[in-house]
This record gives sequence, C-alpha cells and structure tokens, in this order.
Amino acid sequence: MPVCYHSPQRARSHHRRPPPRHQAPAGFWLLRLRLPGCDCSLLIPRRALAVNLMLILCLLLTAVASLALGEVRLTPADVWRALSGAGPALDQLVVRELRLHRVLAGIATGAAFALAGCLLQTLARNRLATPGIIGIDNAATAFAVASVVGTGIALAPSAMALVGAATAAALAFGLAGSSGTRGYRFIIAGVGIGAIAGALTQFMLSQVAIDDANAAFPWTVGSLNARQPQATVLLAAALLPGLLLALRLSRALQLVQVSDAVSIGLGINLIRVRRQTLALSVVLTGLAVAVAGPVGLVALLGPEVARTLCRHRSVPLLASALSGALIMLLADLAGRLLMAPLEIPVGIVTALIGSPYLLWMLLNPSFRSQP
Amino acid sequence: MRPIPFITRLRRLSRGLLGAALLTQAMLASAQTLDTRFGPVEVDDNPQRVVTLYEGALDAAVAVGATPLGAVLTRAGAGVADYIQPRVPQIALVGSARETNLEAVIALRPDLILAPPNLSEEQYRLLSAVAPTIVPAVPRYQPDSWRQESRIYARALNRAAEMEAVLAAIDTRIAALRARFESGLAADARSATLVRWMPQGAMVMSPSLFSTTLLAAAGFEVQDAGIVKPGRPHSSPLSQEKLSLIDRDWLFLATLDAEGQAALDAARQSPAFARLAVVKNDRVVTVDGQIWTSASGPLAAQALLDRLDQLATSLTP
Amino acid sequence: MSRRDTRPLPVLLLAAGAVLVAICVTSLLLGAGEIGPLDALQVLLGGGSAEAAFVVTELRLPRTLIGLTVGVALGAAGALMQTLARNPLAEPGLLGVSAGSSFAVTLALLAGASAATLTVHVAQLGALIGCLLVLAAARIQGVGNDPIRLVLAGATLTGLLMSLMSLLLMLDQRSADEIRFWIIGSLAGRDPATLYAVLPSLLLALVLVLLIARPLAALALGERVAQGLGHHPGRVRLLAVMAVALLVGAATAVAGPIIFVGLVVPFIARALAGPDIRRTLWLCLPLGPVLLIAADILARLLVAPAELPLGVLTALVGAPVLLLLIRGRRLPTL
Repeated sequence: MPVCYHSPQRARSHHRRPPPRHQAPAGFWLLRLRLPGCDCSLLIPRRALAVNLMLILCLLLTAVASLALGEVRLTPADVWRALSGAGPALDQLVVRELRLHRVLAGIATGAAFALAGCLLQTLARNRLATPGIIGIDNAATAFAVASVVGTGIALAPSAMALVGAATAAALAFGLAGSSGTRGYRFIIAGVGIGAIAGALTQFMLSQVAIDDANAAFPWTVGSLNARQPQATVLLAAALLPGLLLALRLSRALQLVQVSDAVSIGLGINLIRVRRQTLALSVVLTGLAVAVAGPVGLVALLGPEVARTLCRHRSVPLLASALSGALIMLLADLAGRLLMAPLEIPVGIVTALIGSPYLLWMLLNPSFRSQP
Repeated sequence: MRPIPFITRLRRLSRGLLGAALLTQAMLASAQTLDTRFGPVEVDDNPQRVVTLYEGALDAAVAVGATPLGAVLTRAGAGVADYIQPRVPQIALVGSARETNLEAVIALRPDLILAPPNLSEEQYRLLSAVAPTIVPAVPRYQPDSWRQESRIYARALNRAAEMEAVLAAIDTRIAALRARFESGLAADARSATLVRWMPQGAMVMSPSLFSTTLLAAAGFEVQDAGIVKPGRPHSSPLSQEKLSLIDRDWLFLATLDAEGQAALDAARQSPAFARLAVVKNDRVVTVDGQIWTSASGPLAAQALLDRLDQLATSLTP
Repeated sequence: MSRRDTRPLPVLLLAAGAVLVAICVTSLLLGAGEIGPLDALQVLLGGGSAEAAFVVTELRLPRTLIGLTVGVALGAAGALMQTLARNPLAEPGLLGVSAGSSFAVTLALLAGASAATLTVHVAQLGALIGCLLVLAAARIQGVGNDPIRLVLAGATLTGLLMSLMSLLLMLDQRSADEIRFWIIGSLAGRDPATLYAVLPSLLLALVLVLLIARPLAALALGERVAQGLGHHPGRVRLLAVMAVALLVGAATAVAGPIIFVGLVVPFIARALAGPDIRRTLWLCLPLGPVLLIAADILARLLVAPAELPLGVLTALVGAPVLLLLIRGRRLPTL
C-alpha cells in the first residue's frame, strides 16, 4: 500500500519547524502507534486506500467470473461448492485443476509484470521504461525457447528465462553507458536488444521440427493455458518478498523521482536503492515470463491505470500490482471466451489492447515521459 | 460398469463378424484393461461419449463405426479434415493440434478419450481425471505406427474385430494396386518422393510416415535423399539449388490446402522445378495434403489408395 | 568541415560500385548446391557444364537481381525517410511501414487474392498508409523533434499489426503457409515475375528521388530556407512520401518485410560521405544492395541445404548498428 512512513523524530532533525503532530494533511488519515520503545505515526492516503480496496474487489469479482465462465458454465454457488471440495467430480476438476491454477497464475504474473514495470519506470523516471519495451521480455523468451526446443541446454525454462532477463538488463545498462537508466538511450538500447532476441527466437523456431515449434508456441506469444505449476509456485514465492522489498524501497524511490541531490541530501544510499530496484524488477519479470511468456504490455498498462486512479504523485506500487493482475485476468478471460473453443493467447489480447493505448500515449502532444 | 443394452448386443450379433465371440466377451465382462503409455487403463466396453484428440484416433474410430462427439482441428483447416467431415457432420471442435481446450473436452462429458501418442504427462494427468484416456505406446514415425495405433483405439472402443476386417480390406487393396503398378511400371521406374510445396521451397517428407509407407507398400520405392533427420517427419524447406534431390521417377506433390493443382502451378513458376526430369516427363502427382501429410488411419488410407487407384488407371487404362 | 565531407562523391560512388560488383559476383559464385565457386566461375567466363549454367543463370542471377532491387529500394527509402522525419532512427521497417505493407497483403490474401501483380499494388497501398501515418505522427508537436518517441511508436504499431496477423492466422489456418511468408522476409524461392511487376513503380520512385533530391536537401536546412530557394515544402514532402511508399511497397511485395536495412545503410553512407543529404542519398543506392546481398549469401550458406529467413539475418546485423548509433555521446540529429 502506498503509505508514507513518517517518523516525527526524524522529521524534526530535518525541518526547523516540525509539522503539527496531531493533524494529518488533506487527503490523508493519520494513524498513530504507541508501542513501548516505538512511537511512530502512519499517514494513509485516503484515495489510494479506496482505490486499492476497489481494485481488490474488482479482482475478486473477475476471479469468480474466470472460475465460473468458459466451455463449462457454472454458477458462483457451483464454484464455491467445487472449491470447498464438494459437488460433481468434473466441476471440481474444472474449477480446481484448470481454472484455479489459471486464475492464480494470471494474478501472480499480472502483479509481477506491473510491479516490475512500476519500479523500472520510477527508477528511469520514464513511463516508457517498462521491461517489455527495453527488451527484457524478448530476451527471457529467447532463452526459454532455447531450452524448450532442445538446443542441448539442460536448464529448465524458468531458470533460462531468468538468465535471459538478467542478460538483457545488463546489456541495456552497459550500452546505455554513463547515462545510466536516465533518458531514452537506455530505452532504445533495449529496443535493439529486443529485436536481436526476437530474431534469435524466430531463427530457433525455424530450425526445429513442427512438434517442437508447437511446444514452444505459448512462449512466443504469451499464454496462461496449461502452464507449469512449478513455475507459478516459484513466482508466487518470489512475489510476496518482492512486494515487501518494493514497499520498503518506495519511500526512497519517491524521493529519487524528485531529484538525485535531494535524495542524497536526505541520506539515501542512491546506488544501493537503484541496484535493488533494478534487480527486483529483473527477477520479477524473468519469473513472470517463465510462467506466462512475454505479456510485457501489462507492465505498462498496470502502472498507468494505477496512476490514473490514484491521482497522487507517490509511487503507486500496490495499486500497480493489483491493476496488473486485474488486466491480466480480464484479458485471459476475454481470450478464452471470444473465439471458443479456440483460445486467443493472453499475450495477443493484451497486445491488441495495450498497443493502441501506447500509441495514443506516445503520439499525444501533451505526453510527459516522467511518471 | 454399465449393463449393455440388449439392442446393442443384437446389433453386434447381426454385424456378423466374430459376433459370437464378441457377445461372449461382452457377457463375461463389462470392462476391459488396455496397456497404454501411462500404464494399464480400464475402459468401459461400450463407450458412448468418445472424444478424439488426434486425427488418427478420429479416423480409426469412424472407420470402425463409432461416432465421436469431439475432435481437434486438422493442422491446416477450419474443422476436421475434409475427407472425414461428411461422416461426422455434428462433431464438436475441442481445440487445435497445437493446444487442446480441456474445458471443451470436459463440456462434452466424455466416457472415453482417445489421445495422441505424444501426449504430455501433465495433460494426461488432467485428461485421465475426466475419463479413461488412451495414449498408445507406439513409437512415432515408424512404418507401422498407424496400424498399431488404430488397433489400440479400436480395442478401446471394443471393436477390435471390426478394425482387423478394415485393415485386412486395406491390405487386399494394397496388394491389388501393387500388382497393377508392378505390371504397369518397370522395376527401375518406381522411385518416388513425397514433397510438401511451401512458398519458401519444397519440404521432403520422411519415408516412414503414414502416407509414404503406404506408397511403398503399393510398389513405389520412396526416398528422402538422406536429408530428413532421424525422428523428424520432414526436412526443412529445401534451397532451390538442391531441388534436384527430389528428382526421382515420381513426385507426389502435396499442399495443406486441398487445391493441389494450385500448388503445382505455383511450383511450375520456379525454373528449378520446371527443369526437373520428373516434371518434364509429367510424372508429378498432386495429392491432398490433409490426407498425405497430416492425417493417418484406415479411412485416410482408403482415400489415399483412391488417389493411387486413379493413377494406376491413368497408367493402364 | 571534417575530412569525410571533402571526399569527392564520384570516388565514393565508384568504390561502392566496385564493392557492389564484387558482392554480386560472389552471390553468383556461392550457393547451397553442388555448383562450387570454380564451376560457377567457368560459367561466368563463358564455359562450364549445363547444370552449372542453369544454376548460375536461372537461380542465382534472378536472386541476385531481386537482392539488387530490394536493396536499392530499401536503402533509398531509408535515406528519404530519415531526411523527411529529420531523424537518424527513422527507418521504414522500424516505423511500421513494412509491417503495414505486409498486413495489407495478408488481408488481401485472406480475402481471396492470389495474383502476384495484385500483391504488389496492395503492398504499396499498405506502405503508403503506413508512411502517411508516420508523417502525421512526426508532425505532432513533441514527437517530430523526439527521434526515439517516433521509433517507439513505430515499434508499437509493428507489434500491433503482428498481433493482428497472428489472430488472423488462427482464424484461417488454410492460408497460414502463404501468410507466414509475409511475417519474415526472405529472398528464397521468390518468383522473378514479381520482380518484373514491381519494376515500373520502382523506376517511377527513382525518378521521383532524382527530382526531389535537391529540394529535399534545401528542406533539411529548414522550411524557410527551402521556400527562399523557391521550393514548395509541402509538395516536396508529399512526393518524398510517395517515393518511400512505392519503394517499400515494392520491396515488401518482392521479399516480405525486411527491417533494419534502411537504418544501417544510411548510417554507413553518412559515416562515409558526411552529413550532406544528397551525397548520402546517392551513396545509399549502391550500399543498400551490398548489405542485402551479403546477408542473403549468409542466409544461403549458414544452414545449407535449407535456408535461413533473410529478415532474421538483417535483424541480427542491423540491431547492433542501432545500438552503435545510440552509443555516441549525443544522439545525432539531422
């Protein structure tokens, strides 16, 4: 949750006149905790809280819809029965084995992509600097495909996707040179890396038998159908600590957004914050690609939706993750229902929704790259 | 363990073929056990709601008189293969060759699932929870794979005897065709290649596929010029400069659309193709790619033999 | 003035022409088949076996000619586009013009078209729409003077069109084989008849280029300067857009979408001839086919007897150049 940890003692050392201690600024609630040895207060932005609660509600509703709708149509009551282990065996199979895994994978990947996107955007101070655009998705895909089509690489696709994501990020950084993550150079380097990785993927797919190419197909477009449960478990295990670390970093990131000088002046170890943020973003993206393939536009859409809803200058990490999960679930549901019994892979659905939005964003005269 | 309706038993009896033996079997046990790739599977001996997830399984099931409820798309079509469509007009589609839609399978409430030999274990785990799932333990791309697969699917449908009759009819027909080709064509004029024509070039099909083994059984000497890697169904698209590799006595030219003629016209545009001796001698046979490069099974075999029949007739009127 | 600005253009052109001839001869000498360089050389000298003569004159020669045509078209289109958009990253492939062209062809194929001559016009129409979109985007305040935003918009458009094509492929798997060609470019097995079909429009485009080279150079100095010199900026721009559409449409109709050639070629040309737009443009004409044919030779040899798609190779060559381009201290502007 985008909360502002506000410790009065600290604040006094920086400001000559401390703010009134019992009054919250407009739009915030003040939560005071008096524990032995720790006297701190918590500012909760009201709007963000409301937005997050609303997003959670929407996410729950979409999840129920995803569990109920499809080739086999169930009522919410049937879903509940099946989830609790009662009802017809086939309903239980549909709900618990097929759809529940899909819904959980959708939530986890959507949240991970969007969280990674929000972190990287904040770090680069650029709304366009999402992992998909800077080539991390494509590189992770190329590496995963290399392991799927059997090029003699023994690592599992998930591990390979992580290696690919890290390689792309390192390359983008190295090529961006002294300008670091700032500015467009970083992004365009990523575009180039993404193009190379994409060409490599095409090359590998053109060289293998049709069955192997078919096995690698979900990796190339992004799909949630029948994905590896182990990869989802791995992602879920990384998501929670990742979210906590992201929230821990959020205050520093908020200041980094303003200016380097200010954040250094406030005693933030800039290099460490940057390094941790980038590493977190790369790990989350790599693990999410390992589950669902390249669905990178969620990393752009999630934070955009969150920022629009929150209307606050802070870094809406939690809202981004929730919006990302919601977008992913909705796109997957649409892909399953629109052309049944054939499925439109979720990657294609998000590309069809996300690309026009990105175009509109890029071509809007009043576009500002800073989030 | 459903009791067998009397009427079904009557129908079986009237079918004649080993009817007595079947009836005894049906009366002795109402379930049978089959060996599959994932271990023994118990199936009801009178399955009513069959779903096939493989073109060969659909073909085998229809060939022995069963009417499957669902099937997957053929590799390059908007439905099941054209040669089989008229026999199963009501069939529901449950996915593509690339991805099976498990929910669509479940929605049909099957009591038997006939799955492809290369089904993944993960998919098997889910499918076998829906209904007994038959995954033939047959190595792929072997000369006799399709017969073995067909027999297993027929046994799962409890129509093994019918399948033997169907296969025997095919063998008789092949033998007759072989005699016609051997009398009509000299022994050194029967080498052949099966090729799929793509816009990027020709793909040579392996000599151990369903269609190429039938072609061999009918008297042709099928070759791949050593460019199909072991375990692969076909080569990569050939460079035009290497096109002489497919220059045998006969060239069977398939495309994934039914209009083989269009493929031939496209191929003729290429000077490297027009220059092949087999083209100059007019020994290019256009064939339906859905049957020759994608399907397998007894009905596909019959359709394939129909085409060879036409060829034999054109040779020796 | 740096040294490269003073290199005389005829010398540069002559050198580039010599390289082009050398690479064309190499393309005739090397291939996936049994005919080795020595056999092929004999054919070129007037001798050789019938088999070798066939391979060289009927297979390698048309292919080299196709490479020549496509290379000239893409090189010139890249130089024009970069001048028009005043952006060294503006490349028809990157900006989605090629994707627009192949998307139009895909739609036409799905609607039942099959004639080679028709696809040329459809491809050019698609390219024209793509060009107009790019130009409209470049005129939007804040986009035109921001090279990277334009490129990102182009990449997004390409991604959108590719997703739509995947969706169409799912809907109609029958045409899948035909359509797959329009997703990755290649020179393999292309019908020389398509080449003859595109030649008129290609020549028209080159005449246009000749006509507008001078006003375009003036336009690059600024709208006022161009007007002062008696040119009509609007008219010049329109003609240039038409030329790009004709060139890219023709190239796509012959070889499918090939990206990065239009980026790399003007980049090398600028490095050799300096920033003068006319010098760059002329030098692009021989350099485009040099790059394309070189990539095609690699495509034939790397995995013989099969072939690699050319589009994959140009991306592998071109993307590093893109990286090199942005590696410089300051993004070069035109």
